[in-house]
Amino acid sequence: MKNQKGALGRKGLAILLMAAVAIAVAAAVFVALRPAKEVVVKPPEEIEDYLFWEAKALTDFKLTGADNKTLALNDLKGKWSFIFFGYIHCPDVCPLTMGILGKAFNLIGKNPAAYEEIQGVFVSVDPQRDTPELIKEYAFYFSDKIIGVTGDTAQLDAFSRQMSALYTVHPKDPQASGDNYQVTHNSTVFLVDPQGRLYGRFPPPQLPQEIAEVFLKIRTFYNERARK
Amino acid sequence: MTGLFSKIFVVLMLGLAVSSASAGGDIEVRGPWVQSAPPGVKVLAGYLEIKNNGKQQQVLTGVSSPVFGQIEIHRSVIHGNMAHMEHLTELAVPANASVVMQPGGLHLMLMDAKKPLRIGDEVPMTLVFGNGEKVAITAIVRSGKMGGMEDHQHMDHSAHGEHKH
Repeated sequence: MKNQKGALGRKGLAILLMAAVAIAVAAAVFVALRPAKEVVVKPPEEIEDYLFWEAKALTDFKLTGADNKTLALNDLKGKWSFIFFGYIHCPDVCPLTMGILGKAFNLIGKNPAAYEEIQGVFVSVDPQRDTPELIKEYAFYFSDKIIGVTGDTAQLDAFSRQMSALYTVHPKDPQASGDNYQVTHNSTVFLVDPQGRLYGRFPPPQLPQEIAEVFLKIRTFYNERARK
Repeated sequence: MTGLFSKIFVVLMLGLAVSSASAGGDIEVRGPWVQSAPPGVKVLAGYLEIKNNGKQQQVLTGVSSPVFGQIEIHRSVIHGNMAHMEHLTELAVPANASVVMQPGGLHLMLMDAKKPLRIGDEVPMTLVFGNGEKVAITAIVRSGKMGGMEDHQHMDHSAHGEHKH
């Protein structure tokens, strides 16, 4: 009995040892063969909800501003761009959001380096009524950092679909006088990073200090990640 | 002495005329204002509070102004980040209650502006109610930008400055 037990014990120990060695070898091989992965830096919790899961590279687009100036993907690169889709015959939500964005820019202005890097883009999704000149005047009214652009339906669709910023131009009510019809639009403010990637978003209802503070944190996070 | 008093009285009355108006005692309109916009913009929004001091519901059925071709009652609705406006043909103000129009919700859609409006301009309007009552008001054009939260924003300015890096 005693001998048998001892023999079993030694055999068991040997099996255990072999198993341990096998696991160690497997682990070593796994570590050695593991593909080199870039260090993933998790965004701080307070900005996580504002960021897209993965920054999405935008494809080139063409929109038109006043004086026949065009806006393309290259014009977004090197800057943080705050993009808002709206229209001028929208007297409530659009001035509200544009005003909030203008105020947010003023708050960001307390950080001169960050202020240098920002621009706003107001995209009118109502090119029938909104001329590039009026759009420019409108955008400038809220901040001299906001440019105003529009385009034909194909150009607007090509750009807005990249952000899933859908809009619908409603048929004119036959009883309505003048040129009155409505446009349903996404009232999110989208954030494009200096590489021209869709990076974050500020869904409604926004507040100026929320946009300013979250943006400054996003920018810090982005710059830290770039250094790693 | 009497001169000074009458002056103060006139100033007070002017202030009341601008900030609130009542007719028949039941309907009171408070703080009417118009959101300023660049001169080329022909469609603006107006905001006010309608207070019904009476025991019966009052229904706002129409609004007119010599400065605008047409005025409608609208409500902005944001659903799943998509914003659109609902056109209301009338607006009920329950007995002993208030309806507040403010940015991002209920508003007067002021269409076909007859002239460019600047900050400080006065916009006369007439509110018509279902019982036939008409209430004349004067709305002031101001740079709402943040609506009634202007003062609140100033406070936040200073708060933000403290944690600047």
